[in-house]
Amino acid sequence: MPEFHRRDFLKLVGASAGAAAASGCGDHVTKLIPYVVQPDEIVPGIANYYASTCQACPAACGLHVKTREGRPIKLEGNPDHPVNKGALCALGQASIGWTYHPDRYKAPRKRNPDGTYSDVSWDEAIALLSGEIKKAGGRTWLLGGETGPTAGRWIDAWVTAVGAGGRVVYEPFAPEALRDAVTAVFGAPGEPVFDLSGSDFVIDFGSDFLESGPSPTEHARQLAAARDVSKPGAHAARFVYVGPRLSMTASNADEWIAARPGSEALVALALVKVALGANAGPLAGLVGDVDLAAVAQQADVPVATLERVGKALGAAKAPVLIPPGVALASRRAASTARTVLLANVALGALGKTLRIAPPREGKRSSYRETLALVDAMKGGSVGVLIVHGSNPLYSLPPASGFADALAKVPFVVSLASIADETSERANLILPDHAPLESWGDAESRAGIRGVVQPTLRPLYDTRAAVDTLLDVARAMGPDVAAQLPEGSFRSLVEQSFAGTDWHATLQNGGVFQEAAPLAVAVAAPAVEVAEPALDGDGEFTLVAASGALFNDGRGANLPWLQETPDPVTKVMWQSFAEISPRAAEKLGGLEFGDVIGVATSAGSVELPVVVRSGVRDDVIAISIGQGHTVGHWASLADGGRPGEKRGVNVIELLPALTDEAGGRAWLLAKARVASAGRHERLPIAQFSQDQRGRRLGLAVTLAELAGGAPAAHGATEAALPAVAADAGHGESAGHGAEGGHGGEHGHLRDFDAAMDRVPGGAYRWGMSIDMDKCTGCSACVVACYIENNIGIVGEEEVRRGRHMAWLRIERWVGDGSLEGGEDRVPIIPDESGTTVDIRHTAMLCKHCGAAPCEPVCPVIATYHNDDGLNGMIYNRCIGTRYCANNCPYKVRKYNWYDLALTRWPEPMRLLANPDVTVRGQGVMEKCTFCVQRIATARQVAKDENRSIADGEVTTACAQSCPTSAITFGNLVDANSAVAKAGSDPVRGYHSLHELNTRPAVTYLAKVKRGSIEG
Amino acid sequence: MTPPPPESVAAMIRPTPALPDSPTNRDVMRVFMERPGLGWLLLIGLCLGGLAGGAATWIYQIYAGLGIAGYSHPIFWGAYIVTFVFWVGIAHAGTLISAILFLFRAKWRNAINRSAEAMTIFAVFTAQLFLGIHVGRIWKAYFILPYPNQRALWVNFKSPLLWDTFAISTYTLVSLIFFYVGLIPDLAIARDRTTGWRKALYGALALGWQGTSRQWKAHNRTVLHLSGLATPLVLSVHSVVSWDFAMALVPGWHATIFAPYFVAGAIFSGFAMVLTVMIPVRRIFGLEHILTDYHFENMCRFLLLTSCIVGYAYGIEYFIAWYSGVEAEKTSFYLRAFGPYWISTWIMLIFNGVVPHLFWFKKLRTHVPTIFVICTLINIGMWFERYVIIITGLSREFNPAVWGHYTPQPAELMIIAGSFSFFSILFLIFLKLFPVIPISEVKELVIHERAHGHGQHAEAH
Repeated sequence: MPEFHRRDFLKLVGASAGAAAASGCGDHVTKLIPYVVQPDEIVPGIANYYASTCQACPAACGLHVKTREGRPIKLEGNPDHPVNKGALCALGQASIGWTYHPDRYKAPRKRNPDGTYSDVSWDEAIALLSGEIKKAGGRTWLLGGETGPTAGRWIDAWVTAVGAGGRVVYEPFAPEALRDAVTAVFGAPGEPVFDLSGSDFVIDFGSDFLESGPSPTEHARQLAAARDVSKPGAHAARFVYVGPRLSMTASNADEWIAARPGSEALVALALVKVALGANAGPLAGLVGDVDLAAVAQQADVPVATLERVGKALGAAKAPVLIPPGVALASRRAASTARTVLLANVALGALGKTLRIAPPREGKRSSYRETLALVDAMKGGSVGVLIVHGSNPLYSLPPASGFADALAKVPFVVSLASIADETSERANLILPDHAPLESWGDAESRAGIRGVVQPTLRPLYDTRAAVDTLLDVARAMGPDVAAQLPEGSFRSLVEQSFAGTDWHATLQNGGVFQEAAPLAVAVAAPAVEVAEPALDGDGEFTLVAASGALFNDGRGANLPWLQETPDPVTKVMWQSFAEISPRAAEKLGGLEFGDVIGVATSAGSVELPVVVRSGVRDDVIAISIGQGHTVGHWASLADGGRPGEKRGVNVIELLPALTDEAGGRAWLLAKARVASAGRHERLPIAQFSQDQRGRRLGLAVTLAELAGGAPAAHGATEAALPAVAADAGHGESAGHGAEGGHGGEHGHLRDFDAAMDRVPGGAYRWGMSIDMDKCTGCSACVVACYIENNIGIVGEEEVRRGRHMAWLRIERWVGDGSLEGGEDRVPIIPDESGTTVDIRHTAMLCKHCGAAPCEPVCPVIATYHNDDGLNGMIYNRCIGTRYCANNCPYKVRKYNWYDLALTRWPEPMRLLANPDVTVRGQGVMEKCTFCVQRIATARQVAKDENRSIADGEVTTACAQSCPTSAITFGNLVDANSAVAKAGSDPVRGYHSLHELNTRPAVTYLAKVKRGSIEG
Repeated sequence: MTPPPPESVAAMIRPTPALPDSPTNRDVMRVFMERPGLGWLLLIGLCLGGLAGGAATWIYQIYAGLGIAGYSHPIFWGAYIVTFVFWVGIAHAGTLISAILFLFRAKWRNAINRSAEAMTIFAVFTAQLFLGIHVGRIWKAYFILPYPNQRALWVNFKSPLLWDTFAISTYTLVSLIFFYVGLIPDLAIARDRTTGWRKALYGALALGWQGTSRQWKAHNRTVLHLSGLATPLVLSVHSVVSWDFAMALVPGWHATIFAPYFVAGAIFSGFAMVLTVMIPVRRIFGLEHILTDYHFENMCRFLLLTSCIVGYAYGIEYFIAWYSGVEAEKTSFYLRAFGPYWISTWIMLIFNGVVPHLFWFKKLRTHVPTIFVICTLINIGMWFERYVIIITGLSREFNPAVWGHYTPQPAELMIIAGSFSFFSILFLIFLKLFPVIPISEVKELVIHERAHGHGQHAEAH
């Protein structure tokens, strides 16, 4: 044995002890259970809901924020909130992503002279800003979006206190023309509230109120109520859409009048003339001058159509006319809005379907003021610009020169929470809290005041914008601070609810006492109807369409919205231009995906086309929202190409012009279009909108509805009497009653409907989907993504159809024809023609009684459970994908890669729902009917020794639906809402019924109301 | 202890100066006893490269996920299953030749049955690889076996995929036994003529075969019984594989004709593959006098017969699609011929249904280069047949919203190339390790012929 010295031994002992000690220092200790003293309100495994208010758009819907163990994981509508009544739109659902967005600023940072950024402390940043404001004085300006009343109030107070130049409120989609029209028509400012629920005749002059209108969720609910055929005695309102493009809103109309863009006022006058003749009240003068033939020619609408619709309008008891929104805000938007408003008055809508609410609290600026500020910036008269709650560098047209103007401002401050184009140009970034971390309030309408309460401790070193400004003021000296209140923004919010029970307010989500409408009288304003001027030249009129998902572009950095198909074209992740087949022919036979160059007086872009007959031949429509250069998912940064645009920003094509009242105009430019000679594969979610007469999306006519004949399912089903007779059973008969039709026909036992669940079992979960109510808004799709931790696959994978949505909205144009499919070009059938017959079919797992997927799985990874649910055991799945082949509805999704949320950029995975397994690579997944919600309800019911009551459990999709088109419940209970809804003998049907899959989802056919008859 | 064999028996099977080795022995032995030539080495090197590429791709696919293949949402089965069915089809010739033709006493089969059996085994090995390549979680693939476990998890006997598992593993096992039993007498011949490691190997594998009449009797009885056992398997394996499709409700799959249609197609492709491989082997190793044009001609007749069956099935499929009146079915078949995959469909129809009819002409079915070309076309056509059934069926299903498209990706092509390499490597090693022609059976024929004075041709006619 070699010698081993005592010294060496001691050295070795010392070294190993040191190593052992050092190894203990490396990782910080993480706790499995984070609470030493557990907060009373948090029980691990049980969700807490907090009422709050959605800040994604000025509609300010009420929220219930679902939190688990202190983390918000899902946003749901607040049923007590009068605007959204429990529903929530796609943008609202997805807006939870802003709180967990990877682009969030984690601390204040300042730009160094060399262009790099370095983090600074809040004290340092506040000192820096207060110094700059002291220097700039009156040359300090604020530019930002609409804020809540409290924030707005104190920001204005701050502007005065620090002696700043002022604040410009910049909200790209603000209904400025309408606001102006109210003031002009009624002589006083107010907010027009269109209430469709009591209407029997709705004409939308291109406002797209179901997508980007002032309150899409509320209007969708009201429209559905006005057209609800299931309620006896309820009138089924007629709905006409006037506009150049068959938008998602228009897809829900009975008739589409493809008037030339800009001619809306003329069409409105012509309709009023036909409807009322000489009794046109305040419009009498204008109507007298209207020559139907001339209007018909100018608007490119047949005289017969004007007469027919006008007569029907005259016969209507409670009509409502909705003035143009963003897409058709022309340079004469103000007079168009006035005309339509007056037409409402003339038709007697005031007090019935239209009321003028008192104006909401808070400063509003016109677009003209924004442009004036830009000019001031260009002229060097702005020393400090503080940008908050908006992204003007993206949403202002480059033609306004905002980029140059920004460069001329010596000190730009951004209060953004998430990096955007504008904040990336700032000298100092003072990050705001994310929406779910901050206090605040919001006013949907006068008297409907929602409170915003934080549901998460701020993840990063951020500060509420108002607190930042107050701190700046305090740093500027005691004299400045003295003009402003002490305390934090939170206390200011609480103070503004003084006089109410603060705890009750927090619990309810606000104070909802809608103010009485103003008693208004028509002030007979000067209205001059003329064709709006369009800038530049070219064969096409450029329509910047405002879609349902991205709003003014703010939604583009939310991955679910990118991966939710455009409700009309079903394109995802990309920009596209819609042109008509005739225009495509003229441009050299363009097909879906061929790239065109679009040039206007303001700029030019290249993008692929979607050829569809849902646009006028002289119109090219490009949706607003894409084309960001900054942002994970919004730009190509997530694909490793930072700074590159995803899609194109149509705003770059628009001149910086206003309407005659100074409001922002969007319908501005003529466009020259030429083929770029390239082709691009657009990622698309739906190959064909032609259902080829297959039993996917059915419709019944009003006559069939009145006749009550069960065979009234169109030609396809009439040809299959056995199927038609069976469809009449509906869900409750087919499944609820033991031994349904299968037994009668002497089928084998396995084919017996009674086998769809354990015989005698208490539950068979089912759903009924009313296609007559579904607008295609896709709120359910996003809700499903977030509830069920569904992975996002990204643009490239979507091209292969590998998106993971468990629920999709299929858009079918009519019954379809046996055409197309020979090549790889998607099929969009002819949508032109005045009568709209578009059916939105929510497609999800049917939980079939005789599910074709179940027998083919070799390892019983998919199986039928006792409640009739078609279960999926992820751990057992080996990925043969046989089940997906055998599913006729194609609702099973496969994890081609590991898409688990753990691979999401930090901290996105924090919003994962802990009740739902995250699926790994190589397993199949699909809709579970939100089995985790059923399980939760079952536990509660079991504790109370009862069965689950009707309405106690609902799925995420049904919960979010603005029109309550989806009903979920227990089919065994014949009195349940779902069993009743599904037993509609005329409209109830099962998708692909002839395959005898016995689905648990019953569709209620869309009602074809046909063209408007006078 | 086995007593040493009697001198007389040993003399019968051992080469003695008095009795020179038979030409059959010599010729066949030469093929696998000679040192591998440069060509063989180059070929196996190439195949090893292909195999390495395929294996690396597969490993990457397991790591990254099946997304690297060309699958899209409605097309959940792609080139891997196509190639799986292709190889299972190839695997049909061997057992058919050794079992069914044996029972029918078709003597001409003797010259080809060894190579056909070898091909069967190698093809079925290759096919099984694709089951592993295809599944999403190969590390859990053992779930498909009904093994006892404490969690009481069981398999689904309703699933055609489970039937597949059993059918193919049974077929592999029986084919392997068949192959081995037939090989034993030849292994003994080889044992007696070699030294070193080969002697040890053949000695062990020959199981002490001495060629006694008692052993021959047992051998012949075994072969007879195995033939009886294997015959239904020939029909069952591809029937079961066809049910993977026919039991599903996908338009274009759900058809009662699938089992006979697939079996005929399998025999068709199997024979074509045997010819494709044996023509160069015969040429390179100079086996023309054993593997005569007569054998090739008979195989061509078989191809003609099965081509007619397959062609009939193609026709019936279209007829039923029209006759059924089911719109989805009609559309599927219409778009099969005129849709995005029309090239594949017409390759299938022409190569399998039209080209083999050239074999009606004796001149063409005895002209070896023509046979080689036609058989190669049939191999291609049969691969495309499975491609057409699987891909076009899935691409145009019930719900037009989720109609989709599929293009094989480089990963799939790499793995398919690797599978051909795998098959080729096994066959090349077989060529150099075992007699490619069944010596004993051919000799039996030669002796028979000598005794009865008939020519092979005359006997067969």
